[in-house]
Amino acid sequence: MTRANLILLALIACIAALPLFGGAYTLRLGTIACMYAIMALSWNVVGGFAGYPSFATAAFFGLGAYIGGVLLARGMPLAAAIPIAGVGSFLVAGLLGAALLRLRGHYFAIASLSLIEVFRELVNNATDLTGGGMGLNIPLAASAGVMADATFFFYLMWGVLLVTAVAVIAVSMSKLGFGMSCIMQNETAANMVGLNTTLYKSIAFGLSACFVGAAGGVYAAWVHYIDPSDVFDILYSVKPIVMALIGGLGSPLGVTIGAFVYLGLEEVVWRNYIQIHSGVLGVLIVLLLLFLPHGLTSLRGWRLWGRAKNV
Amino acid sequence: MARFLLRYARLPSSLLVAAGLALSASAALAQDVIKFGAPLPLTGPLAPEAIKQQQGYDLWAEQVNKAGGIAVGGKKYKVEIVYSDYQSNTPRAVQTTEQMISQGGVNFMFSPFGSGAAKAASSVSERYKMPTIASTASSAQVYDQGYKYLFGTFTPNDTLTTPLTKIVKAKAPNVKKVAILARNDLFPLAIAQEMEKSAKANGFEVVYFEKYAIGTLDHSATLSQIKSQAPQWIFVTGYINDLLLVRKQMTDQQIKADVVSMIAGPAYQEFIDAAGQGGENITSAAWWHPAAQYNGKDIFGTTANYVKLFREKFKSDPDYAQASASVSGALFQMAIEKAGTLDKEKVRDALAATDVMTFWGPVKFGATGQINSLEPPVFQLQGGKAVVLSPDIIKQGEFKLGVH
Amino acid sequence: MLAAQILINALVLGCLYACIAIGFSLVWGVLNVINLIHGSFIVLGAYLAWGLYQSLHISPWYSLAVAAPLFFVFGYVIQRLILNRVITAPVLVTLTLTFGLDLILNNAMIYYFKADYRKLTLTPPMGSVSIFDVVVPVDRLIATVAALALTFVLYLILRRLRVGRAIVAVRLDRDAAILMGVKVNSIYAIAFGLGAALAGCAGVLMALIFPISPLTSTAYLGKAFVVCVLGGLGSVSGALAGGILLALIEGVGSAMIGPAHATTLSFVLLIVFLILRPQGLLGRKGFE
Repeated sequence: MTRANLILLALIACIAALPLFGGAYTLRLGTIACMYAIMALSWNVVGGFAGYPSFATAAFFGLGAYIGGVLLARGMPLAAAIPIAGVGSFLVAGLLGAALLRLRGHYFAIASLSLIEVFRELVNNATDLTGGGMGLNIPLAASAGVMADATFFFYLMWGVLLVTAVAVIAVSMSKLGFGMSCIMQNETAANMVGLNTTLYKSIAFGLSACFVGAAGGVYAAWVHYIDPSDVFDILYSVKPIVMALIGGLGSPLGVTIGAFVYLGLEEVVWRNYIQIHSGVLGVLIVLLLLFLPHGLTSLRGWRLWGRAKNV
Repeated sequence: MARFLLRYARLPSSLLVAAGLALSASAALAQDVIKFGAPLPLTGPLAPEAIKQQQGYDLWAEQVNKAGGIAVGGKKYKVEIVYSDYQSNTPRAVQTTEQMISQGGVNFMFSPFGSGAAKAASSVSERYKMPTIASTASSAQVYDQGYKYLFGTFTPNDTLTTPLTKIVKAKAPNVKKVAILARNDLFPLAIAQEMEKSAKANGFEVVYFEKYAIGTLDHSATLSQIKSQAPQWIFVTGYINDLLLVRKQMTDQQIKADVVSMIAGPAYQEFIDAAGQGGENITSAAWWHPAAQYNGKDIFGTTANYVKLFREKFKSDPDYAQASASVSGALFQMAIEKAGTLDKEKVRDALAATDVMTFWGPVKFGATGQINSLEPPVFQLQGGKAVVLSPDIIKQGEFKLGVH
Repeated sequence: MLAAQILINALVLGCLYACIAIGFSLVWGVLNVINLIHGSFIVLGAYLAWGLYQSLHISPWYSLAVAAPLFFVFGYVIQRLILNRVITAPVLVTLTLTFGLDLILNNAMIYYFKADYRKLTLTPPMGSVSIFDVVVPVDRLIATVAALALTFVLYLILRRLRVGRAIVAVRLDRDAAILMGVKVNSIYAIAFGLGAALAGCAGVLMALIFPISPLTSTAYLGKAFVVCVLGGLGSVSGALAGGILLALIEGVGSAMIGPAHATTLSFVLLIVFLILRPQGLLGRKGFE
């Protein structure tokens, strides 16, 4: 295991101590931080390892939230609903991936972006199952008090983050991860030396959806109410990309730190620039891309430009 | 390796510290002030609604503070409203609600805007046992969650559609067929479903019922289809922009009907101005109208006095959204004064026991916390003005047939 | 009669969709950049038309002449100063960059104009014409003619002018164009400027038909996406074909399965088209 991966696990272990220091709101921020890190790590599998510019994160976050939410609303326990949300997202994404990942570059980006739209409208119109535009109410589990609830959901999200990180590290060290980086560097050549690129890409896409879906399920249980325009928000697709660009594309440690930095920036901007926060966010994105194209860690930044030539 | 870790850890942690400092500064709580938290969508799609809410709350706070404050056990407390922007984004609304309660040191809460966000945030209030008044949530689904700390100033949706149906039935005997077009969104869809029910219950034939997606730009195909069914009554739900779009495209397609009803646009002056001639004879219903004549026991007294104070401050007429925000404040004030304490549990009980006349109308909360004592007015745009048709005590004019 | 009416609606709406998409298609085809600011450019154009009509009573038809040069310069400058720095970066970077730029422009509009909806209402209104019970609103008809005229002007520029032929050359083969002495950076900036000008003009025309608000920008952008993919990239005729096809799908879709499903249908079709026919109805196979 590389040094960076060890540090990543150590960092996640440190986060587990958060409930010792903060109140309910700190825990809420901590939960969101874990959620962002899950999104960034997951996106990195398809975007950073395999080099496919996916904008589908929001689609699978929403899908997982609705799978989890619907099951919870029908009385299934949390312990079953969240794994099902993860596995369900994995399967849907894997199947879609087999078709969509034949596309490359802009076409893949557009197709993955459209998935958000399609899923949102499907959920919107399946009123009987999902409540449609009226939103879905997830019953409040017997509450053990404010802090106990906050701590519980924090650890739940943290647990998903830990599983995500372990899985992503395992992938990066395995044949699968090696195959993905071959695909990124030269897909045609990878195909010619006998790599089953379709299978590899489908798995990558599935993995990028799986943990995001589980996080969506946790999210649904945590906020008790979801509606289609909230969970299928295109920003959930763009944020992980920005996080990855902040932290350095391809490196699990980098993207995780990118996620935390991003959340910090978001909080500060949100608090201080009420009227113009989204504009300030835009300025940050533009400056980042123009002046820090390699992110905060330039560990693997060369890949970004290495790829630029053959696009 | 430790140094390595530190290098990575420094940036995010310093940001968190900065965020923490900003928080603790705002948490400082003065002793003789009652703080009310009001998360509002000050930016984003719902920003125009947030400004109305803010006007309503501000007017109330100003009046209370001018009168010396809220009397609690012989001591006067000033009122402070703590606003926060949640960017028209529901998860942010939930987050900011929790932030206000756990860190902002607010004593009581107003819900975020609309049924969806109010419902989402209500679970936070419930967890913290925080008395909360929703001033813009009407859907019964918001209140039927069994929560104890949530109260609302809007009657259920059917109280808007039923009186409207009764008037059409009585005054327009030729109307047989109804077409309903609804925005696929919490409030507009819920009200369309109520409309369908009350239309069927009153013997109308619903020949068309469809939803349109949020953000639909073009309704021409839908409207052509409605036209081919030749309904005498067309009922459309949505927000101002949707309704303006539908109205314009109805004119484009030369669609005429005996009755055209729209909820919730025509209650707003902006709709009347933008629709111009096209608004003529459109009927609608809302929870309150400035023409109402109630003699309240609240800080504003009569409806006329409320309208007068509002005009003095904002140079325009209040609509139901602003009035509901003001009455929410006034209800908190009366409950706190009755309870004689700032204790959340006791104020909650005092709110639940509310039975009082206000400038908004008679206020009494049902078992779910939603108001059940109001009779919302039905009105029609005539000559560029909203004219109240019912209830009889505030009636201003007669129902007119025909929208061209 | 209903079928005829729906068909006519779709034809007219399709031309408007083409007008919305054509600048987007040009930029995508020539610069290989998915320009997410496009929707906000259109809205800004609509505000321009609204402002000129409201304050100076300048009819939107004349506003077109103001919008075109103004937006050309605006687009040219944005491309030269910002976009050009990452023009060779992968789609991820260019797409995210235009997303960031869009956040800025959209937020600036919300800040300045507020989010409430405005409406440009001509006095007197233009009404509708009807032929055998089939109704066509006059303002839409004129906007359609103007949209067609705009597309035709672009066609002429690309075919007849030197700079236009250079744009086409860069689109077809960038490296060969460089070898032939075409200044690619300048062509990129001109093409982006043209794209912005077309968006601005589209906005002026849309101001007559749709309510104006910064919030409508995503709806315009979504239409541009679908039109481009359906019709094929970078060709004028492709945008027209895509626009009309999209409007037909939406119109017939709403009539058959309800308006709520029409949008879903158009996006499902987009994905199917991407997979089965990425070059679109009329386009040549796009860049990989």
